[in-house]
Amino acid sequence: MNLTDLQALEERYLMRTYRRAPVEFVRGEGALLWDAGGREYLDFLAGISVCSVGHCNPDVVEAVREQASRLIHTSNLFYTEPMVRLAERLAASSLGGRVFFANSGTEANECAIKLARKHAHRRGVDSPQIVSFERDFHGRTYGALAATPSLAENADLGPMLPGFRSVPFDDAAALREAVGESTAAVLIEPIQGESGVYAISDETLLAAREACDEVGALLVFDEIQTGLGRTGSLWAYEQTPVRPDVLTSAKALGGGMPIGACIAGPGAGEVLEPGDHGSTFAGGPVACAAALAVLEIVDDATLLRRVRELGADLRQRLLGIEGVRAVRGRGLMLGVALEGGIDATALGADLLDRGLVVNVPEPGTLRLLPPLTVDSAQIEHAAATIEAALLSFGER
Amino acid sequence: MSPEKPHSEPRALISSTAERLAAIVEAAEHAAAKVIDDAEEHARGQIEEANARADRIVAERLRTLADELDPPAARPRPSHLEAVTPDPAPEQAAGGTRSRSAGARLLATQMAVSGSSREEIEERLRSGFEIEDTSEILDAILGPED
Repeated sequence: MNLTDLQALEERYLMRTYRRAPVEFVRGEGALLWDAGGREYLDFLAGISVCSVGHCNPDVVEAVREQASRLIHTSNLFYTEPMVRLAERLAASSLGGRVFFANSGTEANECAIKLARKHAHRRGVDSPQIVSFERDFHGRTYGALAATPSLAENADLGPMLPGFRSVPFDDAAALREAVGESTAAVLIEPIQGESGVYAISDETLLAAREACDEVGALLVFDEIQTGLGRTGSLWAYEQTPVRPDVLTSAKALGGGMPIGACIAGPGAGEVLEPGDHGSTFAGGPVACAAALAVLEIVDDATLLRRVRELGADLRQRLLGIEGVRAVRGRGLMLGVALEGGIDATALGADLLDRGLVVNVPEPGTLRLLPPLTVDSAQIEHAAATIEAALLSFGER
Repeated sequence: MSPEKPHSEPRALISSTAERLAAIVEAAEHAAAKVIDDAEEHARGQIEEANARADRIVAERLRTLADELDPPAARPRPSHLEAVTPDPAPEQAAGGTRSRSAGARLLATQMAVSGSSREEIEERLRSGFEIEDTSEILDAILGPED
């Protein structure tokens, strides 16, 4: 079956929810992908920050293989060891409280929203509100969608869940104004990912923490993209002047297996009780075994230092390229702002033709999310490829 | 005396002995199983108690450490790190709100715990908080530079 056959079947049988690039990948190893024709690609997207330990990481593959050969699923009506070991490891590496497992990032955020609302009801709030920033992306299920202002504006998908409001991005004053007695939580991406890699300032984070403390609301960090070493520390909050009450994780957590987690500190972790929340598949032994293998790799000071060093190297190389206006982000989560007039979508397609996989989250920006296990030669090659593509754009 | 008798008596004796042995083995197995059950129950109780104690300690430490702008308690603290002295009362003024200075200290502490170098923390404090002399914060967390 070739690409044309796949496209014909997609056209006939799949809902039209994605615009896919015309490539069929059939194999991956480390930072490399191969298409059906045997062509090699350097992957600087990593499945949107999912394959942070590289494609088909041998430790993850072995953990999945070993667990799948013994037990794949039992439901949350029973115990399985990978689940409780992973909960312990996640809590111990972050906020120290309790963990709820989900199957994805948006589901992890659903848990955080539910937890925040119940927490607010306990404070006597009748109509709790969740405050988020414009351009945030928290997911596509209805709770997370309501906290994602740009998507929540789609009237065709209405009515939206009530109890959400947004403020202009990184506007500390507006945030202070928006947070009041009825606020259940402030939900923040410490570095916005889907909208183009924009970090929230320290001033705004401090304002959010203070505002939450004043009214008893929860500060929730959506670390679905920023977490697990992506920014050069295990969690992005470790490079900020605040500590959240709740954080959500997914994407890289399973090394490619679908898993999400809502991690709540000691106080917030006590809010949800039996019957409040649940999931059939979540916390399954195969996904949890994979996640334990991922944490074994990324929760490592040497790897995290390397992420910071390689990120700094990539940033410097990119800033030296004509056509690059600025580089945003932290560690190996970088947004490359292009000079005005450069069509980022066309550039992204050209880079794919040149064998470099990147993403275009907004007009004028490339997003780079390579595996954290990328090597310096691959960093150099990616920067050289972007430079060559931009040069050819300038000549057109 | 029937010709079978000399054979049947030992057979009966063997049968009786085997039954007694089986009963003894069964009783021993039952006793062993009970000992194992008791031990498991005792161990479970101890684990639950230890977990509850650990949870309490973690929660208590986190509350204290958060107040003192210290690193997450659940993560093992590198031995070279020292506790950060809590900010004096003025920092907690205005209804207990955090000041920029307290934020800078927490930032530096969290970065140190996550493995950042002195130079990386210093750079972040300068860029994020415009602190010229970072030595006081860095010395408090990492110890004085040699």
